[in-house]
Amino acid sequence: MLPTMTPQPPPLPFDRVPAAALLREVLAKELLLITGKGGVGKSTTAQVLARLASRQGKKVLLIELESVSRAGPLFGAPSVGPEPREVAPKLWLAALDTMDSLRYFAVQQLKIEALVNLALRNRAVEGFFQAVPAVKPMLFLYHVWRILDDHGPRGDRRWDLIICDLPTSGFVQGMYQIPLTLQQTFRAGPVHGYGKAMGDLLLDRQRTGLLLVTLPEEMPVVETLELRNALEQQHHVQPVAVLVNGVFPAALDAGELAELATAVQRPTPDAEAVEDALAVERMLGAEPVADLRDLGAHLWAAELLLSRRLRAQGLLPRLAQAVQGRVLELPFLFRRDLPLAAIDQLATLLDGGAP
Amino acid sequence: MSAASKSPSPASTSPSPATATLQNAKLIVLAGSGGVGKTTSSAALALQAALSGRRVLVLTIDPAQRLLQALGLQGEDPTRKPAANVPHEVLPKLKHLVPGAHPDGSLHAMMLDAGQGAIAMVERLLPDPVLRERVLTNRIYKAFLPTLQASPDYMALELLFELSQDPRFDLVVLDTPPMHNALDFLKAGHTLASFINDRVLKWFAKVPQPGAKKSTFGSLFGTGSSMAMSVLGRLFGADALPDIAEFFSSFNEVLPKLKDRALATDAMLRAPTTRFLVVTAPGETSLREARHLFLQLQQHGIQPAGFIVNRMLQVPVELSETPDHDALTARLIQGGLDPHKAAAMAVRLSLAAERLLHLGRSDLEHLRELQRMVGPRGFCAPVPQREGDVHSLGQLRGLGQTILDGAATGVVY
Repeated sequence: MLPTMTPQPPPLPFDRVPAAALLREVLAKELLLITGKGGVGKSTTAQVLARLASRQGKKVLLIELESVSRAGPLFGAPSVGPEPREVAPKLWLAALDTMDSLRYFAVQQLKIEALVNLALRNRAVEGFFQAVPAVKPMLFLYHVWRILDDHGPRGDRRWDLIICDLPTSGFVQGMYQIPLTLQQTFRAGPVHGYGKAMGDLLLDRQRTGLLLVTLPEEMPVVETLELRNALEQQHHVQPVAVLVNGVFPAALDAGELAELATAVQRPTPDAEAVEDALAVERMLGAEPVADLRDLGAHLWAAELLLSRRLRAQGLLPRLAQAVQGRVLELPFLFRRDLPLAAIDQLATLLDGGAP
Repeated sequence: MSAASKSPSPASTSPSPATATLQNAKLIVLAGSGGVGKTTSSAALALQAALSGRRVLVLTIDPAQRLLQALGLQGEDPTRKPAANVPHEVLPKLKHLVPGAHPDGSLHAMMLDAGQGAIAMVERLLPDPVLRERVLTNRIYKAFLPTLQASPDYMALELLFELSQDPRFDLVVLDTPPMHNALDFLKAGHTLASFINDRVLKWFAKVPQPGAKKSTFGSLFGTGSSMAMSVLGRLFGADALPDIAEFFSSFNEVLPKLKDRALATDAMLRAPTTRFLVVTAPGETSLREARHLFLQLQQHGIQPAGFIVNRMLQVPVELSETPDHDALTARLIQGGLDPHKAAAMAVRLSLAAERLLHLGRSDLEHLRELQRMVGPRGFCAPVPQREGDVHSLGQLRGLGQTILDGAATGVVY
């Protein structure tokens, strides 16, 4: 139904990479890191892309970083843990917290489960790893790197695409810093090697893509540009794309709205006159031709949609220019909650299809 | 006219729970997941409290440039940010511009910088300059310092404690870092205090001082309680061990002080003069997280004072019924539009109106659910979605008033 509300968009004043090609490029990565300011729809984006890729036949693992999974309830899987779990055809979920990743790291290094248990039971160790902030992105990065490259003893633990629903930008900046930090802190030895390997993975433009999510509003766009610039300056990383979430469709364009405003004002919508007219119609037993009081509200709705739309159109060129036109859009579906059906609808729309 | 014109009854003698919170609390903590408007709400409430005569400090984490401008702390140049971790005067400068401000009120604002805070913390914890120098040049410490920004929880707690002792302020409004599990913040002090027990202190006491003989170092790995150190050696490689040992040995000095501070902070967060507000927005995800946070706080023996529900869609009451498409078409024709055009436009208009109406209804349902959860003694303040950011003190004041009015009446303006 959405396209019926969207008139032909005006020609854009910048070169946007065609959405289909950009989307193909995004989904061709092996590791997709999704971040953005809080509340912009990172989880929604991760879910939409995971669903889309799995529908295209890819084997997808969606990783969340919180102990409370957002994607779990969507697929009717209330408990999601560090062990990947198939929740839909070709789609696995995992939720990693720091202690899960620490345990994973320790098991890989020490090989002996009993030793790991002994070590991790020590509260000093646990306290240390919980307390030192850099540990969280470091262990997460290690864990994801291993999931990506270690296909298990039977070789069956292999995904075509791993999508990470990451916390806010601070975490991501910390994460890009870690390979360098590890290599500088440990000048030799195993950790130095991990630092190098993780750095290579993060900077490999073929395998890894960073996707920044934002809203078509001023503050989120400004902060997205700041993050993009910081990552480029500090780590020479460019996002594969910026996804603008929640773009309002316009019910009417500006010309139509003006025409409408003139039309409804032609017979002055004086409240008393309206009441009188309605009263007369009711007395005559006729159905009112139109309740003029409704029109103010309709205009309000149309104006709200148009103003949101125009604001988005004012911000997008700046954003698109900064990322060489690599911008994807998800429309606002006029609902706060996105059950699986809505996620699927967004996936279809993103893919350029009719819902 | 919208239902908005109902205002709190002037006859009521006792202040509403929200106003009472601003009058009586010594510390107000705003918690919630990211992107729900915590920072702006914190500043708006702090301003309201200051206007009513309190001496307020608002401690914010990563405020948007527009908000800094609204507070008069930043000019047009975004690269010149005001100094972090120091209180900046807001209201005294502007008092004459704000009619009706109580003469005793004042407002300061402070931006948290976790990295700088970490250095200050080391200085406080390690008064001995030799030991401090050793820690500050330790490879491990230096490596971790820049990434402290990723986790401002401890730093906020550190600063909070000092600010609560500052005679210039009688109310601190704290904007917490964004988090899914917002209780991390609350638990930060508690976890640390329980982690630092006698056994842990003894363990760190065994970590040899840098420069100690190898035999001492070797014996460390032999003892059963030092298994962890041995594990660290196997994990990180032997060459890093001296730095790791030095890093831990400084803990020996630091931990008792950290524990005292953690206990004091925990007590402060649980004091009856501390009130928690949960900031949220409509939507099932936000609602679930707000509910989770509310219950977690209750489980920790803290009764949250209420909710602030930002971004409510404010639907005009005229749009109270699903629009009649035929009537709309007729009306547009009557207004002089070509019948075909009128019909096409009416389809799109009624679709738009219907969708917004639906959204407004679902926002109201979410509000009601939070109102039920908070009960009659707490409050639930709906705040309508604004178009654009707050960028002036006047707008911030208007927002604060909207929160208080919303809390008093529960009506979406």
